Formats: sequence, structure tokens, C-alpha cells
Amino acid sequence: MNGKYKLRPYLIRLGIVLAVSVLIVFAFNEISYRIQKDEHDRAPETVSLVIPEGTAASIENDEDVPTIPSEMVFVLGDVLEVENQDNVSHQLGPIWVPPNSTASLVMERANKFAYSCSFQTSRYLNLDVRQPTTVGTRFTGLALAAPTLTTLVFLYSLLVFPVDKVKKQ
Amino acid sequence: MFKSKLGTVGLGVVIGLVLVLVIWQVFTQDYTYQGSLIDPPVPAADFDLTDQHGQTFRLSDQHGKVVLIFFGYTHCPDVCPVTLSEFKQIKSKLGNQVDDISFVFITVDPERDTLEKLGDHLANFDAGFIGLSGDRSSLEEVWMSFGVYQAKQETGSAAGYLVDHTARVYAIDVDGNWRLTYPFGMESDKLFQGVRHLIQEG
Repeated sequence: MNGKYKLRPYLIRLGIVLAVSVLIVFAFNEISYRIQKDEHDRAPETVSLVIPEGTAASIENDEDVPTIPSEMVFVLGDVLEVENQDNVSHQLGPIWVPPNSTASLVMERANKFAYSCSFQTSRYLNLDVRQPTTVGTRFTGLALAAPTLTTLVFLYSLLVFPVDKVKKQ
Repeated sequence: MFKSKLGTVGLGVVIGLVLVLVIWQVFTQDYTYQGSLIDPPVPAADFDLTDQHGQTFRLSDQHGKVVLIFFGYTHCPDVCPVTLSEFKQIKSKLGNQVDDISFVFITVDPERDTLEKLGDHLANFDAGFIGLSGDRSSLEEVWMSFGVYQAKQETGSAAGYLVDHTARVYAIDVDGNWRLTYPFGMESDKLFQGVRHLIQEG
């Protein structure tokens, strides 16, 4: 018998196992993604922060500025836009904003940053820049998991249902 | 036969159009400035200080040129020499655009940074860099308007005190506006690209 025909049932089984594995991994990926997805898992956007007039004076008197959070979460590629309505310049880490103007910065690195901040009573503002789960990330997960699952299921199927046995039946 | 030729020509036209569109997209994309962008730009606070040659330097006299400003001191062991080296790299890459930019170093240590010392120090990097000093009260006004922090730190070493200071680079456009600031550590190539675009915009 030709070797090509000997291999055929194995290849057919491998193809079926591969298709089933891709479907299973895809389903698991998507279910986990939907369960774990939070509000920060989104496409990059512009996030605005306003420094109200009189902020520097409030900070000087150790008063909190209620409109400014102490921690902010971003995804990679977000643009942080700081509008300074105060009459003095302010800074947040690498961002410097002259009085009555707006400055922006693109979040280019995923990490947790504790930036010195002139408009916080604590003088620090924590920024958490996260890597968003994109279609690419999900595809990478699929590409890594599907071949592994295929191999394992294929080998397992050969042990439990050997090809020759199936043919005889 | 005729139909197949027509199909080939049609396919060629479609591929050509797609290529033109892609190239058009690439070349007409807006440049995204790195660093912190001040938008809309606001007029930079003007100042008068004295350069290393004893001449008055007025920021508003620089209209028509991009100005890169850094605040530092000649005894600085780390941040200032690194930034001045980056200025040197940027200048060397600018080619014939070099006349459209001024590199300015303003002292945060006027007690030790005499004009002569500023000149000698900057000459180690590039004699064309402008070093500025003045009396403390004039400098304090400039520091304040640029949001510059500076504080002496006694170290007890023979080299004398250190000065903690703001390490960002300020880019002022050809119209005299605050336009960009770059944090310390930003790659000099990103600074160079930004500066080149500011010059081209002008």
C-alpha cells in the first residue's frame, strides 16, 4: 500500500482535531475575555483632567482638590490632556502646563507610575497604564493554545481509538 | 482573449490606485509630537538675561527661531551634561537648519556659574550654545514663569553643594510660544524629530 494512503486517516483525524481544538480554544478565550473584561479594557482615547482655578492656593493650605482623583487608570495609547485653569503653571511628571492652557501626553509605556504632581496635596499622582486586550492579543492566545491542545487531543485519540481499530470496525 | 486582457488591465489599475492611496495616507498623516504638547500654544513668558559673552539675551528677540531651553548648572554631575550632549547630537543632525534654532542653558546656580564659567563649560559641548545667567531675583522670575524647581543640597563633599532642579527641556516655536516640553531621559532622536517639525512648521 502507498505511504500516502497510510497517512490519510491520520491526517483526516488531525484535521478534525485541529478544527475542534480551534473552536474550543476560541470559545474558552472569548468566555474568559468577557468575564475578565473591565471598564479599562478598551480602545485608546483622550482622557481629560481639569485643574480648577485656585488649585495652587488650595494645595498651599493643605486642602484637597475634590475634582482631581489620586489615581488614574489608562490603556496604552491613551492621551492624557491636562487643562490648567489656574493662574500658575502646574506639572504632573513629564507634563508641564502653563497657566490657562492645555498640555497633553501620549501614554506610551504600560507600567505603574507615581508622578510628582503640583495639584495634589500629597504631591503625587499614581498613573496605572495598562496594556489593553486587543484582537491581536486574543489571536495570539488562540495561536499559542490551539496547536498545543490539538497535539494533546490527537495523541490521546490515537491511544483511545487507534486508527486501525476504527477502520476494522 | 480581449476579456482576459481587460481583466488584467483592470486589476493593474485597482492595485495602482490602492498603492497611491496607501502612499498618500503615509505622507499626509499628521505628525504626532512626542513629549508633552501644549495645545493650543501659549506665548512664552519673555525675559532678559545675560549670556556668556556679557550680551543681553531677550527671548522675544528669538522670534523666527525655535528655542530649546534647559535649566541646569555647571557643577551638575549627571543630568545637565547628558542633556547638553543630547543638544549637541540634535544640532549635528540638523544640517542646514541649524541657523533656525537656539540652544539655551539657563543657570539654576548663579552664585557659582559666572559668565566665564558658563562659557567655558558650554564650549566643552558646543561654543554656539547660549549660556544665561543674571542676578538671583531676575533668575527667580524666569524660574517661576517656567515652573522650574531648584534647591541647594549640601553634600559635605569637597566638590561643594548640589542643586536639585527641574530637568525638562522646553521647546519654544518660531512664534515665541511654549509648544512642547520633554522630560529628562527622552531619546534625543525624538527631540530631534520634534525640533525639526517645529522648524518646518515655521
